[in-house]
Amino acid sequence: MPSKGPTATERFINGIIPENPLYRNLLGLCPALAVTNGMKPALTMAGATAFVLICANVITSLLRNVLKPHLRILVFTLTIATFVTIADRFLQAFMYDMSKILGPYVPLIIVNCMIISRCEVCASKQSVGTAFSDAVGVSLGFCLGLASIATVREILGSGTWMELRVLPEAWPNWGIMVLPPGAFLTLGLLLGGWNWYNARREAKAS
Amino acid sequence: MEYIASIVLISVGAALINNFVLHYFVGICPFVGVSRRVEMAFGMGCAVTFVISIAAFLSWTFTYFVTRPGAPVTTWIWGMVNPGSEAVVDLSILNYIIYIFVIASSVQFVEMYLRKFFPALFKAFGIFLPLITTNCAILFGCLEIMKHITGVSSPAEMWGLDKALVFAVSGGIGFAIAITMMAGIREELDLCDVPKPLEGAGITLLVAGIMAMAFMGFTGVDRGLEALLLK
Amino acid sequence: MDLMTTVTIAVAAGTMLVLAVAMSLVLGWANRAFHVEVDPRIDAINDALPAANCGGCGYVGCGEYAEAIVHEGADIDLCPVGGPATAADVAEIMGVDVGDAAPKRPVVHCSAEYPQRLGRHEYAGEMTCTSANLIAGVQGCIYGCLGFGDCVMACEYDAIHIVNGLAKVDYDKCIGCSACARACPRNIITMIPFKTERVMTVACSNKDFGKDVKNVCETGCIGCKSCEKVTKGLFHLENNLPILDYDHLADDYDFGDALKKCPMESLVWVGKPSAEDIAETADEVLPDVVEADFKTTVDKTEWRG
Repeated sequence: MPSKGPTATERFINGIIPENPLYRNLLGLCPALAVTNGMKPALTMAGATAFVLICANVITSLLRNVLKPHLRILVFTLTIATFVTIADRFLQAFMYDMSKILGPYVPLIIVNCMIISRCEVCASKQSVGTAFSDAVGVSLGFCLGLASIATVREILGSGTWMELRVLPEAWPNWGIMVLPPGAFLTLGLLLGGWNWYNARREAKAS
Repeated sequence: MEYIASIVLISVGAALINNFVLHYFVGICPFVGVSRRVEMAFGMGCAVTFVISIAAFLSWTFTYFVTRPGAPVTTWIWGMVNPGSEAVVDLSILNYIIYIFVIASSVQFVEMYLRKFFPALFKAFGIFLPLITTNCAILFGCLEIMKHITGVSSPAEMWGLDKALVFAVSGGIGFAIAITMMAGIREELDLCDVPKPLEGAGITLLVAGIMAMAFMGFTGVDRGLEALLLK
Repeated sequence: MDLMTTVTIAVAAGTMLVLAVAMSLVLGWANRAFHVEVDPRIDAINDALPAANCGGCGYVGCGEYAEAIVHEGADIDLCPVGGPATAADVAEIMGVDVGDAAPKRPVVHCSAEYPQRLGRHEYAGEMTCTSANLIAGVQGCIYGCLGFGDCVMACEYDAIHIVNGLAKVDYDKCIGCSACARACPRNIITMIPFKTERVMTVACSNKDFGKDVKNVCETGCIGCKSCEKVTKGLFHLENNLPILDYDHLADDYDFGDALKKCPMESLVWVGKPSAEDIAETADEVLPDVVEADFKTTVDKTEWRG
């Protein structure tokens, strides 16, 4: 593997759309389905994940030369668990209502495949600056993914966006959208749309 | 009778009404990834059930005896340092770290044990075990048990080890049911003309949505069971 | 800091320490107590193998194959993805000589496209070869390619396609994992060692003789033994089908006479096209994959017949 790989800026830009963790790599599906019935929970979750990912990446990158290979995953996981505890307590202290809505999904950030994957693939091999920009890019991509699903579900399910009314009161709220089936169907269709758009773009390019 | 009713309700609740995959959205990654063939899906379901019961046992023990406010171990230590004080030591900040540590270690242990004593079983679902360490479903099981120990209003409502294990095993069985059903459907889908953009994860999620709708039909079963058993 | 905070921090640190030490002890003990004697050669072979886990060697994964080599004495040159380089590495680890390992590639033993198959009827069942193979009357020849594409579905490398009803291998993409050979319910795809880039094959699986074959196919082998006579035994007929002796075949053997003598065009070159073939089609613009282009009369959908 080449020692340089993509530069820091390239990693940052890559993480947002081309290598979007949700749509392209299908990582972090659990929160994408669970907390996207409104924009506010989705953005809070994205923010918490961003905090954990950035801190974990930085710490992993700082420790990359002292870690024995067979202890790697355990150390990543413990670091992530620590930062998730911090994030969870922060939310409980300063955003109590939101923390109740997000419920058990904040601690589930610990096992979000996306974070462990970024630590393993990027942070454990790159310098702190590169790891940092990679984490920021991927977090923005994840936020974009969550926001897209949440927009669809909230507008169709309650007629609001960010709890501001966008559809008229007469709109019959699509109850299914805020329930579990709606999450699966929305993500499935958006994923199909993403793949179709990418295929068309590649067909035009070639 | 009340006891049996509560056990049955917890069990049916975890397996069907609030199915881990279709209602709580945990364990989606293996659900989408491993559900292509029925044998593999069933193996994954069994492996998850196995690990979740071990993890539930260990995490309940630690939460009940060490980390909850007023736990026996911490109270005893506090009693030695500052006897006669009414304050309680609250170590619940360590919960998440302990759970993930316990899950990772127990999976490692189980893998070694299986490899030595049950090589046939190891060949069957040994490859899934490292995957399960970061499976949301296991951690979610532990978190729900934690919620029913530290988040209840009175000590009488706390879940004992029995209820915690029933919850965990039923949750695992519910996961196994969902993933095996999905595998059966996907095997049929292989022969169908799926639109190209939806191939793979897209159609799986759409089918999961329809399955979730079907499982929503179980809502209210708990009320009926309660009425039946507590007549 | 008051006493409570101190005690909390101390007990927390103590708990984590105790937990870490306990787990390390338990896992360390387990590592020794549950130790499975693993021959170090297995790990070495595992590293040498390409880790594609394609199943082409006939074992479930690279790990299985490594174990089979060490414990059961499996052949060392079964890996199609790694090829002769891997076979040489494995031979070195096991301390044996590597033979002349030529890569194995699939050959479809059928040469009849839709127009040449006689006795075809409309089939409205499940569009897979496995299902169509179970009922009578789908096509006249009960031995040959059905064309519903079970092999195409099995191939993960896009190396086999159904062209006008006949399975055709794309030898540029094929890595030799033999998934197509295992998928074919009529077993008409076999894996043959490709010592050269172009290989002569018998493109027919029909075990009947003479008129029975002509009634069901325009290019099927009728078992006339012309090839056996012309090549003086290089082809050897069994069950009315010629079998080519690849082990005793010289790389530059001239099949011109045999090709001329065969009345049914059942002998076919496969592999890289010859210089003449390339020159012939040099000015044609060929599409990448030729699709069957007829539609049903019922609606505008394409019928995967």
